[in-house]
Amino acid sequence: MKQLLRLTHPIHLVSGVTIWGIWFVAIYAGLSVACSVAPPDPERDMLTGINIGVGLATLFTTLLLSGLTWASVAAGRRAEPRRERFFAYASAGIFLFSAGGTLFVGYPIIFLPPCL
Amino acid sequence: MSDTKDATLTPEVRRLHKGMAEVWANPRGLGALTVVNHTSVGLRFMVTGAIFFLIGGLLAMLIRTQLAFPDNDFMSHETYNQVFTMHGTVMMFLFAIPILEGLAIYMIPKMIGARDLVCPRLSAFGYFCYLFGGIILVSSLLFEMAPASGWFMYTPLSSGDYAPGRGSDFWLLGITFVEISALSAGVELVVSILRTRTEGMPLHKMPLFAWYILAMALMIVVGFPPLILGSILLELERATGMPFFDVAGGGDPVLWAHLFWLFGHPEVYIIFLPGAGIVSTLIPVFARRPIVGYGWVVAAIVIMGFVSFGLWVHHMFTLGIPQLALAFFSAASMLVAIPTGIQIFVWLSTLWLGRPVMSLPMLWIIGFLVIFVLGGLTGVMLALVPFNWQVHDTHFVVAHMHYVLVGGMLFPLIAGLYYWLPLVSGRMPSARLGKWSFWLIFLGFNLTFLIMHWTGLLGMRRRVFTYDTAMGWDIYNLISSVGGFMMSAGVALLILDVALHFRFGKKASQNPWNADGLEWAMSKPPTPYNFVSLPRLDTRHPLWDDPELPRTITEGRHGLSTIDHGRRETWGSDALTGKLREVVHLPTNSWWPFFAALALAMVCVCLLIRIYPLAAVATLVAVVLLLRWSWENGAHPRAAPDSTVSPGQPPLHSRTMNGPGVWTMSVTHLANGSLFLSLLFGWFYLWTVAPEWQMPETSPLSPSMLVGAGVSLTLGSAWLARLVRRLRRDNDAGLGGGMYLAAGLGALQTVLLAAVIWQAELAPTETAHDATLLVALLYVLIHALLGGLLCLLQGLRVGYGFVGVHAPLEPVVVLRFWYYHLVVYWVLFVAIWAMPTILGGGT
Amino acid sequence: MSILDHSGPAARAQFWVWWAMLIVTVVVSLSVYALWLYTFRRREQPQRTPREERRIMLRWVLGGGIALPVVSIVALLVFAAPTGRSMLPLPLPEGEAERIEVIGHQWWWEIRYPGEEGERDVITANRLVMPAGEPVDFRITSEDVIHAFWIPRLGGKRDMIPGRHSTIRLEADVPGVFGAQCAEYCGAQHTHMLLHVEALERDAYDAWLAERRAPPVPQEGFDQAREAFGEHCAACHTVAGFPEELVVDELEHDIRGPDLSDIGSRPTLGAGVLPMEEGAIAYWLQHHQTLKPGNRMPPHHHIDTETLQDIGAWLEMLEP
Repeated sequence: MKQLLRLTHPIHLVSGVTIWGIWFVAIYAGLSVACSVAPPDPERDMLTGINIGVGLATLFTTLLLSGLTWASVAAGRRAEPRRERFFAYASAGIFLFSAGGTLFVGYPIIFLPPCL
Repeated sequence: MSDTKDATLTPEVRRLHKGMAEVWANPRGLGALTVVNHTSVGLRFMVTGAIFFLIGGLLAMLIRTQLAFPDNDFMSHETYNQVFTMHGTVMMFLFAIPILEGLAIYMIPKMIGARDLVCPRLSAFGYFCYLFGGIILVSSLLFEMAPASGWFMYTPLSSGDYAPGRGSDFWLLGITFVEISALSAGVELVVSILRTRTEGMPLHKMPLFAWYILAMALMIVVGFPPLILGSILLELERATGMPFFDVAGGGDPVLWAHLFWLFGHPEVYIIFLPGAGIVSTLIPVFARRPIVGYGWVVAAIVIMGFVSFGLWVHHMFTLGIPQLALAFFSAASMLVAIPTGIQIFVWLSTLWLGRPVMSLPMLWIIGFLVIFVLGGLTGVMLALVPFNWQVHDTHFVVAHMHYVLVGGMLFPLIAGLYYWLPLVSGRMPSARLGKWSFWLIFLGFNLTFLIMHWTGLLGMRRRVFTYDTAMGWDIYNLISSVGGFMMSAGVALLILDVALHFRFGKKASQNPWNADGLEWAMSKPPTPYNFVSLPRLDTRHPLWDDPELPRTITEGRHGLSTIDHGRRETWGSDALTGKLREVVHLPTNSWWPFFAALALAMVCVCLLIRIYPLAAVATLVAVVLLLRWSWENGAHPRAAPDSTVSPGQPPLHSRTMNGPGVWTMSVTHLANGSLFLSLLFGWFYLWTVAPEWQMPETSPLSPSMLVGAGVSLTLGSAWLARLVRRLRRDNDAGLGGGMYLAAGLGALQTVLLAAVIWQAELAPTETAHDATLLVALLYVLIHALLGGLLCLLQGLRVGYGFVGVHAPLEPVVVLRFWYYHLVVYWVLFVAIWAMPTILGGGT
Repeated sequence: MSILDHSGPAARAQFWVWWAMLIVTVVVSLSVYALWLYTFRRREQPQRTPREERRIMLRWVLGGGIALPVVSIVALLVFAAPTGRSMLPLPLPEGEAERIEVIGHQWWWEIRYPGEEGERDVITANRLVMPAGEPVDFRITSEDVIHAFWIPRLGGKRDMIPGRHSTIRLEADVPGVFGAQCAEYCGAQHTHMLLHVEALERDAYDAWLAERRAPPVPQEGFDQAREAFGEHCAACHTVAGFPEELVVDELEHDIRGPDLSDIGSRPTLGAGVLPMEEGAIAYWLQHHQTLKPGNRMPPHHHIDTETLQDIGAWLEMLEP
């Protein structure tokens, strides 16, 4: 089990995109629930608590994934067998993609109101 | 050329080949229905898929005939609506997915150095489900009762009020049946790729095609259950009036759209990934150098597989979802351009750094590139919400999706067909006919669909059966129709070419394309056992590194080359490193898959003609057959009565505690979990979003009985876990009795859950709340019943001596089942009892 | 019906986005094709070390596989995605936008102009009149299955979902006539679900609306036709002022037909099937199941031709 936590294990090929996926589901579900429970006044346009909340979640996830990218590269440098290095670098690429993807997908909060 | 007659082999080796041929023999005549070997089943899948392709193509030509001229009365609107619905359905569900699965079933063991897939009977079962489901669905055309609500069956157009005929039922039941087949193939492909690679083949050195298929299979496992759930709910609504998708009863038609596209979008990638896998296999061969950037491709595959699940709403941009939510999905859809771009440029740099040669398969790859790149770019356009609002549901989208699907799937598939044809037949295809058919299909396709983008921009909607000449669409539609018929001529030529080559093709050499893949080390046509001896490999390019491999394999100089035990065997290896772990003994030909599938077909037909008591009987028969099938496993005389292996070999998998069976159960629960999550999604979705949702102030469910059932489940799991721990310490004293006790706890749980349902007095036909509760409770009830039954069977098997310290695998597998149910049960308890109780009901 | 023949701000934005994307698409795809085909043309290859090969590969993959898509999609998201904002029903500086309700039925359109307090709604069918030169909020829903409301020349479409209401904002630059159609497949006669849209100057629009809001003028003549209408049609159809003030909402029937109060002024019959001419209604009443098979109005074989012609003649007169 401990082996699974090491960034050279192939399970981390999917952990970056999994984090991305969880964040994605969370903001989509959160938005839908927030809009059906307490829709903000359209007058406020995009300056609402919902946008700020999504924005914070986005920034946090991006930072987390960027950190994991860096850790993965470091793990790849240290890894000895070619196999471990292969998986660490491949996972690093996917972490980086997920970090960029998070920021990219979260970006529209700065120009759209949440519930219209 | 059959190996047994090869004069260069020593008598001893020839005896080995003969022995293998006997053990792996496929019976003929009626007995052919018992065949489980992956080569035969894979071919059956592909041939059946090709036949459905022709049916789907015929329907497409009917559509193009109708639309060739304005105000055409070639078909009535009723026929036309059935024809376009069936065209989409047949192409997506009966052609694209099954034929790719067939290809994977056929190729994967050959590429990873295995003799068969890990659950051969499941392959055969999957095939029959597909065949019967397909026949049921297509027969609706003959009865003129075909579904006519479009291939995505939006409710309420497909529900009882607006589609009172049997068309929707044909669709829902037939498709669900076919999806059982897709799921079973998905599960066993995952486990086979991870656990049965030949000795020493580590994960990062397996062929790229195996990575693509691994991703595809996992996506099937996770992506199909939402639609299966949706189909079950819609069929329940149609048959009994439970209002899941009916606003008045507290349901919501948009829930169907979500469930459908949760499946439907990943499906596009499920279809594209194997196509890209073929491209990644062929390009290095014809560039005459290894692929560059193997790791990049693996990363791109993983990204595509995941991101494709985050895009489903981009089919629903016009449904009135808030624009910010749309923007998330829009951005996520655009992200797919990155992994696609990586693959296109990895292929380009491989060609750039190699010395590419043109050939017939390569011609189709170029065709793929031209069409697919365009389809991908229009895909990025469609991801943009404001543009999507304009062209959604017009012929622009029709053109786009044909570019993606035909470009991304059909062209690589034909490239693969020409590439692997020599392997199947031992003969080379003709270059001239092949080129003719390529140009006809390629030009015909572009003529049809390039112009169709324009027709869409001019405002022509999809799914209209005619149009007015005043619209100015006449000439474009006529051109599209001419192109369509050109393409048909190309397909006819292709069939002719393939048919003729079996008789007139030149004999193929051992490795006609000078390829690197292990599949070219086999005899042609392949024997059912693929390789007489299984080589140790630590390379991505076995045949380029060791051109002698075909000879040494045939001479039986590698591993697992004994047959006197009479078992069908292949290696079980470590998922990560490829180190040997066990000898997997595979079941032989069996009638159970055929009869089990037949019983399920009876269930479908009975539901279709609405004779429900008979459907219940047929379900019971199917369950009994499936359980009887499971009886012939492990130490059963028909599986592997004795556990002797050659000196130095790892043990038989049924004699270990972590055989592939444990993996199969886990992957199955991935699918089951996806179904459960879809149900949970449905519950919360209706609760928060459905306009007329009604929830009683207090939960109608009895908390004491719910907890009681949960406790008996928890105790049973703990008890089973203890039994397994003792087995691990080589102690099977009291195992049989312990299993009966667990079975008793399963039965208790079943009874309690039945009492919960009884006591709650639900009105499932009145409100979606009660209907959803009922389905959720039935879901756990079925699991409780099945958990108990499995333990009961285990107890019996201990008595027969099939399970014990000498064969400890099965209790581990059953424990996994209980663990899954344990987690699901308590999650459900929180969702359907605790949360409504805490948050309060009301409307 | 052409998207490219834009006549409103939303459609115009979409039009320019389309051309920009088309140009990028053509350039990108042609370059990729050319590069691929070029690799088959070269003959001699220099000997390269694995390190050089790796560098060349990285250059292609980073440049073409990553930078190119990243730049394109970022440009698209930053410049093109905000164009969708103009279709949001955000509060306007100049006050409320004109609101028109559109309700989808299998296979016709019900249009409602909500009245101020105490006023009754103006109800019409298959003809939408809107003011030009100002944003209009269309509040849309459906009575049966999912339909979609789409005026291609003004902007994007929106699905009409039973049980839900959503609002889409569109604007016509200048007065004119536009086609509209149901874009989501909605069953047998999806094809014949067209809507005639007219944008009028504000004054003309107000006058048009006022005419219909005015209490119905007591009618004279056509007694037989009105009696036959009451007997055969009034279960589903309404006419303002007949027999008294009956509003469609009060019908007890679960399928309701279009309100016919101003049918004489509508340009087509059957949601775009027949042009309105003298005698067209009577013809429609006799042959509607051949003209638009499967439509929800039952066949009229049991009513003699003369009565149908009578009813037709009366309905043709109905203009506010």
